[in-house]
Amino acid sequence: MNVTVNVNGKPYTRDVEARTLLVHFLREDLLLTGTHVGCDTSQCGACTVHVNGEAVKSCTVLAVQADGMDVKTIEGMGTPGDLHPLQTGFWEKHGLQCGYCTPGMIMASAELLKHNANPSEEEIRYHLEGNYCRCTGYHNIVKAVQHAAEIMAQGGQSGQAADD
Amino acid sequence: MSTLKPNKVLRKKVTRRRVLIGLGTTAGVLVVGVPLALNAGRPALVEYVVENGTGPQEAPFNPDLWFEVTASGITFYAPKMEMGQGIHTALAQIAAEELEVKPEQLTVKQADTARGYAGGTMFTFGSNSVNALYTPLREAAATLRELLREEAARQLGVPAKNLTAAGGQFFIAGRRDTLSYGKVVEGKQGEWTLPDKPARLKARKDFKRIGRAMPRVDFRDKVMGLSSYGYDARVDGMLYGAVARPPRYGATLAAATAGGASAQPGVSKVVIDLKANFAGVVADSRTRARNAVKKLDLRWEGGTNVNQAEIDAQVRAGAGVVVRRRGNVGAALKQGTRIEAEYSTPLVAHAHLEPLAALAQVAPGKNGKIEVWTATQYPQKVMDDIHAALGKDREILLHPTQLGGGFGRKAGQTAAVEATRLSAATGRPVHVGWTREEDLQQAFFRPPSHHILRGSVSSEGRILGVEQFTASGDIIWPASMPEFVKDTIGFDPGGVLGLFMPYDIPAYHVTNRREALPVPTGFWRGLGVFPNTFAVESFADELAHAAKMDPLDFRLNNLPDTEDGQRLRAVLEQAAKRAGWRTPPPAGRARGIACGLDVNTASAQVAEVSVENGQIRVHRMSVAVDPGMVINPQGAKMQAEGSVVMGLSSTLHEVLTVKDGMIESANFDTYPLLTLRETPQIDVDLLESGDTPYGMGEPIIGPVGAAVANAVFALTGKRLRDLPMRL
Repeated sequence: MNVTVNVNGKPYTRDVEARTLLVHFLREDLLLTGTHVGCDTSQCGACTVHVNGEAVKSCTVLAVQADGMDVKTIEGMGTPGDLHPLQTGFWEKHGLQCGYCTPGMIMASAELLKHNANPSEEEIRYHLEGNYCRCTGYHNIVKAVQHAAEIMAQGGQSGQAADD
Repeated sequence: MSTLKPNKVLRKKVTRRRVLIGLGTTAGVLVVGVPLALNAGRPALVEYVVENGTGPQEAPFNPDLWFEVTASGITFYAPKMEMGQGIHTALAQIAAEELEVKPEQLTVKQADTARGYAGGTMFTFGSNSVNALYTPLREAAATLRELLREEAARQLGVPAKNLTAAGGQFFIAGRRDTLSYGKVVEGKQGEWTLPDKPARLKARKDFKRIGRAMPRVDFRDKVMGLSSYGYDARVDGMLYGAVARPPRYGATLAAATAGGASAQPGVSKVVIDLKANFAGVVADSRTRARNAVKKLDLRWEGGTNVNQAEIDAQVRAGAGVVVRRRGNVGAALKQGTRIEAEYSTPLVAHAHLEPLAALAQVAPGKNGKIEVWTATQYPQKVMDDIHAALGKDREILLHPTQLGGGFGRKAGQTAAVEATRLSAATGRPVHVGWTREEDLQQAFFRPPSHHILRGSVSSEGRILGVEQFTASGDIIWPASMPEFVKDTIGFDPGGVLGLFMPYDIPAYHVTNRREALPVPTGFWRGLGVFPNTFAVESFADELAHAAKMDPLDFRLNNLPDTEDGQRLRAVLEQAAKRAGWRTPPPAGRARGIACGLDVNTASAQVAEVSVENGQIRVHRMSVAVDPGMVINPQGAKMQAEGSVVMGLSSTLHEVLTVKDGMIESANFDTYPLLTLRETPQIDVDLLESGDTPYGMGEPIIGPVGAAVANAVFALTGKRLRDLPMRL
């Protein structure tokens, strides 16, 4: 069946099977491979995207359920010269290693910052509990979100990439 | 390895004609490559060759390390895989140091098997990347720098000593203008001639890049979602494959037909090869391929029906190969205070977040060329497996992608072989991406282990003797050892990592037993380091308590007066200092300490724990590490922190059980990993004791479990000897 999903501000109409998960629609039909697959069962959080502004694990949503909705993926968060503060935060605070969980971490964190501009360490830990990372010590992820919150509090949409 | 070079020095001159061809096409390109010989465990620089042409594909030799210099910058082809450990950044800063360039002037690219492939060097394992490449990479970069300096001197008509290299250009004594490396290459006329011997390396006191934090070369793409992993590999016209899995380990495919699979929507091919035990489906989407594979009509026969209890019974310490015999243990155990304890660690998974995945494109014909994009630590193993499956005469071009975690599991890449089979059968590029279920059940695992230790201590707190028996499922044994080696040594070299107590024990007797299990087992971060260190460092703690001594003092009291002993002493004291070992812990908490030595890296950790609602809660881990020398303190700390989290996950949560010949857990709901919320404060102190960098990827995971167990004992008086810990 035909669905039209607005992804990162652009409408995409595709013929999809009813059983197609949003994550596979994004990765296979739209070739937006920044959204990663870690478990296919909503437990690892690697596939987190925004649907109508809310963070959802895109392996729990069918593509047809996203018909007519606004979806934002990691590819829609920033551009090379104008990174989203969370992208700057994860980069500068080393909130990643292999990076496979990072898009999901960033999308989940973005939702937190939308509702809570200045989250405490405890609030960040609680909010990101559903996102697994197998490489890092997790702490730099907390620091990355806090750094992003600081950038946003200072009115910066973006920070310069870590080139020092 | 078949790719090893003879240990000799060659000089090669490049003809003027070829230089002019190079200049005449695009910009001038200077390529410098260095083949290494991996012998006696340490590579040596054996050969320099310089090529000046339009691209490295023209080069007639096989370098492991590879630089290209053009007007726009220098590209370094890294012969190690990036799986999160930061190796591309560490190698870049080593190269930048000797090249005298700013890090941003150096572009790091992943080497593939087309340009300068050397199978042994590319194997990314054993925490050895920096250790193996530190000196050869510096020598290569320094030689490139001096080659450019001499040429610059010729072009400028000044003595080479009047040129100072910095920031990718030469400053000329007494002049205001400069000459960039790119301009030197562009302006080159005639032959490049290599120096007879390696250029002089910089003194450590002059280092500007090595030893400092540096932005990661891979992070920009990763935070933007642009980095490509094996799971993300895409080419035009590709299809998706899914493969049938045996219900029991060792089961063979006795009969197979397409059944209802062919009629499923989007299915282009059903591929069955009984001899290869293979049945798979190719379809136009992953969803369709996975669905269709369930409709195959398959009859599996044989295999194992093993259950967990039988595996536990098989992995029992006792008889085995004596791997250390010092002093008279029988006599020693009759003196002092004697104790005995048993420990066990379970079967666990790697659980890298990126499941196995690969894209393959096989050209038509019996010997059609194969191109593969996959996340692997060991391309040679993948290529060997593909050759075994599809014929050894086929040319293979393998593009290693970023790895979404590896931890030893991606030493091979079964998905690559599967994708290749399916592509060969369909004539189309095919991507195979495993599900988490496949990854948890069809992988190989860290083998279970069992340990029995008996020891005695004197009233002065000296260890008098230890008798140690260990059993483990195979680690290196099944994967890579020739038969004659197996027959000669009789034990699994992976199983003895972390096995030996680092203390000065007059009578020490260690027996190691390896078991081939009906469940596939193999490499897992640090191999034997985590299971063995859990056992021996828990036992060291038990000996300390038997001697009625503080566990830190007991360790310091028993370490030998050797270099390793001194390094362990230093990390123990530093971790203790950071943790406030000599001060009382906060109310309701207690501390435990453990240490270990692996790949020459010494580490010690103090865990601070409490028990809340019947659950162990780890509040702080204070880590001190001496990896000899540190290239990138930021990266080293991250490796240590990540090791602690993975070690805690193994200590507190992870266990796989086997029922009817198959792992029972199929996903993270029954195989939970440590979460961000459970992660304690982790403080890492780095100590440097020399001028050689050792490994950071694995050693730190060793003492984690014992530090926690020892803290739980200090808090509760209960000794937890089996992982994962259950109060």
